[in-house]
Amino acid sequence: MAVETLTETPSLLPVFVKSALGGKKKGDSLPQTSYRLADQVVDRQHLQDYQRLCGFAADDTLPHTYPHILGFPLQMQLMSREDFPLPLVGLVHVENEITVRRRLTAEDVLDITVSAENLAPHPKGTTVQIVTVAEVSGEQVWEGRSTYLARGKGDPDAARGSMPDLPEVSPGQGAAIWSLPKDFGRQYAKISGDVNPIHMSGLTAKAMGFPAAIAHGMWTYARCVATLGPAASGPSSSHVWFKKPVLLPGKVELVVEPGDPTLLGLRKPVRSSADRVVEHLVLTVETR
Amino acid sequence: MASPQPDQTRRAAILGGNRIPFARQFGPYAQASNQDMLTAAIEGLVARYNLGGQRLGEVVAGAVIKHSRDFNLTRESVLGSSLDPHTPAYDIQQACGTGLEAAILVSNKIKLGQAESGIAGGVDTSSDAPITVSEKLRTKLLKVNRAKGAGAQLKALGAIRPTDLGIETPANSEPRTGLSMGEHMAQTAKRWGITREAQDELAVASHRGLARSYDEGFQDDLVTSFKGLARDQNLRPDSSMEKLAKLKPAFGKGDDATMTAGNSTPLTDGASVVLLGSEEYAAEHGLTVQAYFVDGETAAVDYVHGEEGLLMAPAYAVPRLLARNGLTLQDFDYYEIHEAFAATVLSTLKAWEDEDFCKDKLGLDAPLGSIDRDKLNVNGSSLAAGHPFAATGGRIVAALAKMLHEKGPGSRGLISICAAGGQGVVAILEGA
Repeated sequence: MAVETLTETPSLLPVFVKSALGGKKKGDSLPQTSYRLADQVVDRQHLQDYQRLCGFAADDTLPHTYPHILGFPLQMQLMSREDFPLPLVGLVHVENEITVRRRLTAEDVLDITVSAENLAPHPKGTTVQIVTVAEVSGEQVWEGRSTYLARGKGDPDAARGSMPDLPEVSPGQGAAIWSLPKDFGRQYAKISGDVNPIHMSGLTAKAMGFPAAIAHGMWTYARCVATLGPAASGPSSSHVWFKKPVLLPGKVELVVEPGDPTLLGLRKPVRSSADRVVEHLVLTVETR
Repeated sequence: MASPQPDQTRRAAILGGNRIPFARQFGPYAQASNQDMLTAAIEGLVARYNLGGQRLGEVVAGAVIKHSRDFNLTRESVLGSSLDPHTPAYDIQQACGTGLEAAILVSNKIKLGQAESGIAGGVDTSSDAPITVSEKLRTKLLKVNRAKGAGAQLKALGAIRPTDLGIETPANSEPRTGLSMGEHMAQTAKRWGITREAQDELAVASHRGLARSYDEGFQDDLVTSFKGLARDQNLRPDSSMEKLAKLKPAFGKGDDATMTAGNSTPLTDGASVVLLGSEEYAAEHGLTVQAYFVDGETAAVDYVHGEEGLLMAPAYAVPRLLARNGLTLQDFDYYEIHEAFAATVLSTLKAWEDEDFCKDKLGLDAPLGSIDRDKLNVNGSSLAAGHPFAATGGRIVAALAKMLHEKGPGSRGLISICAAGGQGVVAILEGA
């Protein structure tokens, strides 16, 4: 696989614009190119802004989900290539896995590499996995695997990975309720660089077919991981399945499996068991 | 009068400590809250002494300047740390004596068998300070909040005048006198005839001592870097009498003003914590007892009516502590006298040497006498490290315990910390 080393983090707005205007994607193979950003020094101000917005301790440790942010522009660069078989705009982030091999700090200088794998049929379209690897001095310290779905003609017989059920918690018995303001998508976009129009405003989201702006899945993921405290920033792994988007403004309720803090879910707060349950995500986290 | 003896007490051991380097106001910790810093200090201690997942007896800490949202500061830091969330915590505040008072409280519970282990500490930020609105505006806003109905609320809002607007930040001054701590200290320094030269000498010694301790690696297992800062930002290893002599007086009035920014502590941000436990706890967890927390004493003086200097209370606390423990001022291997100002340390030492003061004010037959200055603040103190108010006690207890452990069993150290409101907190540690 060819590695293309970038000298600076690509800017994402032009990537989105280019993709939105771009022609129809074709092909059934993935680009054999990976993108690499070497010697990434953590910007402490950026780290702190991320920690605060996601509920992590504002210390020197890189949160479980933080390197994803550093690799995200490379993901976009890769998926907006002309030979990338799926259209970038409209891709849905359906799953994400992260493995933290050792506790990372703001002192660590990271080399980030992003590549595409596993183009596969899905009952609702086609999925692809974008793999982000962070290395420190040649040692792999962090890996993220993001699964994106391009909705389209699916294969009803395609195998779906097994997804755990959300913890069964009675109405009103959630572990926490978080209120997300109307501009929350813009707040997270500022930090993550993910300026996808579906997050930026009600108007732009409606243009993309959503009833309102939606919260970034990666924020909901990070906020849930943050509830596990410092342990999840050490050697650990997690797997999240994104279900229904969180509409902004809105409230979400954290539910935790009784007796097992490693299985978490996020749902729309319900008053009674008669209410329709909207499930946003389910997440498993293993710490060592 | 004999003090009542509890039925049974045991020794409280100091097992280690951790702090983040102290930063100058609006420095690298400008955006760090008390919560962030205290959590970082605790988490560093947890990492160093393998306390992850452990339920400790209690965690006691505090901050002098606190946001109202931080009402449960210490407990919130415990919840944000790797400690077992079943570890209880509470906040205390005794101005600059907060950290040492926290250590007294935790060690007392351990001595009484009410706790097996605990963390004592403190934190303060001079950068991320709470801002309040003017008292007039605050009262009127509360009225708006109480008003029922839009009409009543509008009417209450209408009572706010442009002149009510304005913000207030916490000031380092005494509410009853309106004088800053430096101005109070300048009065005391003048009363005791403390020279500019003597103050500058103490400041140079503090910087050199702290710099040497870092160079020798003494601070390696006492400090964990934070926000890119690995050493105390205020530390100037090349501090000299010549450089300090150039500074203009900052406190006091007239030609004979002696206190400068160089021989006074600057406003700083930081946090420190100390791990304490019973000897059984230490043995069970494979931890080394560095020192024992022998005893503590507090005192307060009437500075409001000018009877005594604001920062002179430790001069009263120490003789009471010595008497209770059957010791003289000379029975110590190390003295840690908090350098709020160089003049504080020098006035205190001078008072203990003064026959009239010791007789009239302390009620002693003879002066406490002089100390061997080579044993004073050996690894530097607040003039060099900085002084994030509530964090100073933890810094001193952890460092002194380590020094006493290196000195050997039976060695003794005296801690003296002055505090706002005319208070003082002092303690005796013994090496293990």
